[in-house]
Amino acid sequence: MLMIDAFVVASFTAPEKIGANPQSMLWLLPLVAAIVVAYKATKLPEIKAGNFLKEVAILFGSIIVFMIIIALVLCTLAWLITE
Amino acid sequence: MTPRSKESHVLFLLIVGLLAWLVPGAGHLLLKEKKRAIIIFATIVLTFSTGLYVGSIGVINPVGATPWYVAQIMNSPMVAGLGHLTTTRHYFVYGRPSEIGQIYTSIAGLLNLLCIVNAVYLAHLRRAETN
Repeated sequence: MLMIDAFVVASFTAPEKIGANPQSMLWLLPLVAAIVVAYKATKLPEIKAGNFLKEVAILFGSIIVFMIIIALVLCTLAWLITE
Repeated sequence: MTPRSKESHVLFLLIVGLLAWLVPGAGHLLLKEKKRAIIIFATIVLTFSTGLYVGSIGVINPVGATPWYVAQIMNSPMVAGLGHLTTTRHYFVYGRPSEIGQIYTSIAGLLNLLCIVNAVYLAHLRRAETN
Protein backbone atom coordinates (compact mmCIF):
# COMPACT_ATOMS: atom_id res chain seq x y z
CA MET A 1 0.00 0.00 0.00
CA LEU A 2 2.84 2.39 0.87
CA MET A 3 4.47 1.66 -2.49
CA ILE A 4 1.26 2.61 -4.31
CA ASP A 5 0.93 5.80 -2.23
CA ALA A 6 4.54 6.73 -2.94
CA PHE A 7 4.04 6.10 -6.66
CA VAL A 8 0.92 8.28 -6.76
CA VAL A 9 2.65 11.12 -4.85
CA ALA A 10 5.73 10.85 -7.09
CA SER A 11 3.52 11.07 -10.20
CA PHE A 12 2.25 14.47 -9.09
CA THR A 13 5.51 15.98 -7.83
CA ALA A 14 7.62 15.55 -10.98
CA PRO A 15 6.53 16.94 -14.37
CA GLU A 16 6.15 14.78 -17.48
CA LYS A 17 8.63 15.14 -20.33
CA ILE A 18 6.82 16.90 -23.16
CA GLY A 19 8.79 18.48 -25.96
CA ALA A 20 7.85 21.69 -27.77
CA ASN A 21 6.94 19.81 -30.97
CA PRO A 22 3.83 19.75 -33.21
CA GLN A 23 2.61 16.55 -31.49
CA SER A 24 2.27 18.41 -28.20
CA MET A 25 -0.63 20.32 -29.80
CA LEU A 26 -2.65 17.11 -29.44
CA TRP A 27 -2.92 17.92 -25.73
CA LEU A 28 -5.72 20.31 -26.70
CA LEU A 29 -8.03 17.41 -27.60
CA PRO A 30 -8.77 16.17 -24.03
CA LEU A 31 -9.12 19.79 -22.92
CA VAL A 32 -11.69 20.52 -25.64
CA ALA A 33 -13.55 17.33 -24.63
CA ALA A 34 -13.61 18.45 -20.97
CA ILE A 35 -14.89 21.92 -21.90
CA VAL A 36 -17.61 20.45 -24.12
CA VAL A 37 -18.77 17.92 -21.50
CA ALA A 38 -18.95 20.50 -18.69
CA TYR A 39 -20.65 23.05 -20.93
CA LYS A 40 -23.27 20.59 -22.16
CA ALA A 41 -23.86 19.33 -18.59
CA THR A 42 -24.90 22.85 -17.62
CA LYS A 43 -26.83 23.73 -20.78
CA LEU A 44 -28.99 20.69 -21.58
CA PRO A 45 -32.47 20.90 -19.99
CA GLU A 46 -32.46 17.13 -19.31
CA ILE A 47 -29.53 14.71 -19.16
CA LYS A 48 -30.17 11.50 -21.12
CA ALA A 49 -27.18 9.35 -22.09
CA GLY A 50 -27.90 9.12 -25.84
CA ASN A 51 -28.86 12.76 -26.34
CA PHE A 52 -26.00 13.98 -24.12
CA LEU A 53 -23.38 11.98 -26.05
CA LYS A 54 -24.81 13.17 -29.37
CA GLU A 55 -24.71 16.83 -28.30
CA VAL A 56 -21.17 16.44 -26.94
CA ALA A 57 -19.97 14.77 -30.16
CA ILE A 58 -21.52 17.50 -32.34
CA LEU A 59 -20.00 20.37 -30.36
CA PHE A 60 -16.61 18.62 -30.06
CA GLY A 61 -16.54 18.00 -33.83
CA SER A 62 -17.61 21.60 -34.57
CA ILE A 63 -14.84 23.05 -32.40
CA ILE A 64 -12.17 20.80 -33.92
CA VAL A 65 -13.30 21.50 -37.50
CA PHE A 66 -13.40 25.24 -36.80
CA MET A 67 -9.90 25.12 -35.29
CA ILE A 68 -8.57 23.22 -38.31
CA ILE A 69 -10.12 25.80 -40.67
CA ILE A 70 -8.60 28.69 -38.66
CA ALA A 71 -5.20 26.92 -38.65
CA LEU A 72 -5.35 26.43 -42.44
CA VAL A 73 -6.31 30.08 -43.00
CA LEU A 74 -3.46 31.27 -40.76
CA CYS A 75 -0.97 28.92 -42.47
CA THR A 76 -2.09 30.20 -45.91
CA LEU A 77 -1.78 33.82 -44.75
CA ALA A 78 1.69 33.17 -43.32
CA TRP A 79 2.72 31.45 -46.56
CA LEU A 80 1.37 34.33 -48.70
CA ILE A 81 3.16 36.95 -46.58
CA THR A 82 6.51 35.15 -46.42
CA GLU A 83 6.70 33.84 -50.03
CA MET B 1 -41.92 37.37 -1.24
CA THR B 2 -41.68 38.39 2.45
CA PRO B 3 -38.38 39.84 3.75
CA ARG B 4 -37.69 36.70 5.78
CA SER B 5 -38.16 34.32 2.84
CA LYS B 6 -36.03 36.62 0.72
CA GLU B 7 -33.24 36.32 3.31
CA SER B 8 -33.52 32.56 3.43
CA HIS B 9 -33.48 32.49 -0.37
CA VAL B 10 -30.25 34.48 -0.50
CA LEU B 11 -28.76 32.22 2.19
CA PHE B 12 -29.77 29.13 0.19
CA LEU B 13 -28.13 30.56 -2.95
CA LEU B 14 -24.97 31.26 -0.94
CA ILE B 15 -24.93 27.70 0.43
CA VAL B 16 -25.38 26.27 -3.10
CA GLY B 17 -22.55 28.47 -4.43
CA LEU B 18 -20.19 27.66 -1.55
CA LEU B 19 -20.91 23.92 -1.76
CA ALA B 20 -20.36 23.96 -5.53
CA TRP B 21 -17.00 25.66 -4.96
CA LEU B 22 -15.99 23.33 -2.13
CA VAL B 23 -16.63 20.15 -4.15
CA PRO B 24 -17.26 20.42 -7.92
CA GLY B 25 -20.81 19.24 -8.66
CA ALA B 26 -21.99 19.40 -5.04
CA GLY B 27 -24.20 22.41 -5.77
CA HIS B 28 -26.09 20.45 -8.41
CA LEU B 29 -26.29 17.44 -6.06
CA LEU B 30 -27.99 19.67 -3.48
CA LEU B 31 -30.55 20.58 -6.16
CA LYS B 32 -31.16 16.83 -6.77
CA GLU B 33 -29.48 16.97 -10.20
CA LYS B 34 -27.53 13.76 -9.60
CA LYS B 35 -26.49 13.05 -13.22
CA ARG B 36 -25.29 16.61 -13.79
CA ALA B 37 -23.39 16.51 -10.49
CA ILE B 38 -21.58 13.28 -11.40
CA ILE B 39 -20.65 14.54 -14.89
CA ILE B 40 -19.39 17.87 -13.52
CA PHE B 41 -17.41 16.23 -10.70
CA ALA B 42 -15.77 13.67 -13.00
CA THR B 43 -14.94 16.21 -15.71
CA ILE B 44 -13.44 18.85 -13.44
CA VAL B 45 -11.51 16.45 -11.22
CA LEU B 46 -10.11 14.60 -14.27
CA THR B 47 -9.09 17.84 -16.02
CA PHE B 48 -7.47 19.21 -12.87
CA SER B 49 -5.69 15.91 -12.13
CA THR B 50 -4.41 15.71 -15.72
CA GLY B 51 -2.93 19.20 -15.33
CA LEU B 52 -1.24 18.20 -12.09
CA TYR B 53 0.04 14.94 -13.58
CA VAL B 54 1.53 16.67 -16.64
CA GLY B 55 3.03 19.70 -14.90
CA SER B 56 3.31 18.43 -11.29
CA ILE B 57 1.91 20.36 -8.33
CA GLY B 58 4.50 23.03 -9.19
CA VAL B 59 1.99 24.52 -11.66
CA ILE B 60 0.04 25.84 -8.67
CA ASN B 61 2.17 28.84 -7.88
CA PRO B 62 0.49 31.65 -5.93
CA VAL B 63 3.66 33.79 -5.98
CA GLY B 64 5.11 33.46 -9.49
CA ALA B 65 1.91 32.84 -11.46
CA THR B 66 -0.80 34.77 -9.63
CA PRO B 67 -3.26 35.21 -12.56
CA TRP B 68 -3.20 31.42 -13.20
CA TYR B 69 -3.62 30.80 -9.46
CA VAL B 70 -6.78 32.94 -9.39
CA ALA B 71 -8.33 30.64 -12.02
CA GLN B 72 -6.95 27.48 -10.34
CA ILE B 73 -8.45 28.32 -6.95
CA MET B 74 -11.92 28.28 -8.55
CA ASN B 75 -11.59 24.47 -8.52
CA SER B 76 -11.88 24.29 -4.76
CA PRO B 77 -10.49 26.09 -1.69
CA MET B 78 -8.35 22.96 -1.20
CA VAL B 79 -6.13 24.26 -4.03
CA ALA B 80 -4.88 26.90 -1.57
CA GLY B 81 -3.37 24.03 0.46
CA LEU B 82 -1.49 22.83 -2.61
CA GLY B 83 -0.36 26.41 -3.29
CA HIS B 84 1.01 26.64 0.25
CA LEU B 85 2.81 23.31 -0.23
CA THR B 86 4.47 24.40 -3.49
CA THR B 87 5.67 27.72 -2.06
CA THR B 88 7.15 26.15 1.07
CA ARG B 89 8.70 23.06 -0.55
CA HIS B 90 9.77 24.70 -3.84
CA TYR B 91 8.48 22.48 -6.64
CA PHE B 92 9.75 24.01 -9.88
CA VAL B 93 8.42 23.30 -13.37
CA TYR B 94 9.35 24.96 -16.67
CA GLY B 95 8.65 24.74 -20.39
CA ARG B 96 5.83 22.90 -22.14
CA PRO B 97 4.76 20.74 -19.14
CA SER B 98 4.33 23.94 -17.12
CA GLU B 99 2.24 25.55 -19.88
CA ILE B 100 0.02 22.50 -20.37
CA GLY B 101 -0.36 21.92 -16.62
CA GLN B 102 -1.31 25.54 -15.98
CA ILE B 103 -3.78 25.61 -18.88
CA TYR B 104 -5.46 22.36 -17.76
CA THR B 105 -5.74 23.31 -14.08
CA SER B 106 -6.90 26.86 -14.87
CA ILE B 107 -9.49 25.76 -17.42
CA ALA B 108 -10.77 23.23 -14.85
CA GLY B 109 -11.17 26.11 -12.40
CA LEU B 110 -12.99 28.29 -14.91
CA LEU B 111 -15.27 25.37 -15.82
CA ASN B 112 -16.08 24.97 -12.13
CA LEU B 113 -16.88 28.70 -11.97
CA LEU B 114 -19.34 28.15 -14.83
CA CYS B 115 -20.89 25.25 -12.89
CA ILE B 116 -21.09 27.33 -9.68
CA VAL B 117 -22.93 30.12 -11.52
CA ASN B 118 -25.20 27.54 -13.18
CA ALA B 119 -26.03 25.85 -9.86
CA VAL B 120 -26.87 29.20 -8.21
CA TYR B 121 -28.98 30.20 -11.23
CA LEU B 122 -30.85 26.87 -11.17
CA ALA B 123 -31.50 27.28 -7.43
CA HIS B 124 -32.82 30.80 -8.02
CA LEU B 125 -35.06 29.67 -10.89
CA ARG B 126 -36.56 26.83 -8.87
CA ARG B 127 -37.35 29.08 -5.93
CA ALA B 128 -38.91 31.64 -8.27
CA GLU B 129 -41.05 28.91 -9.90
CA THR B 130 -42.39 27.62 -6.55
CA ASN B 131 -43.45 31.14 -5.43
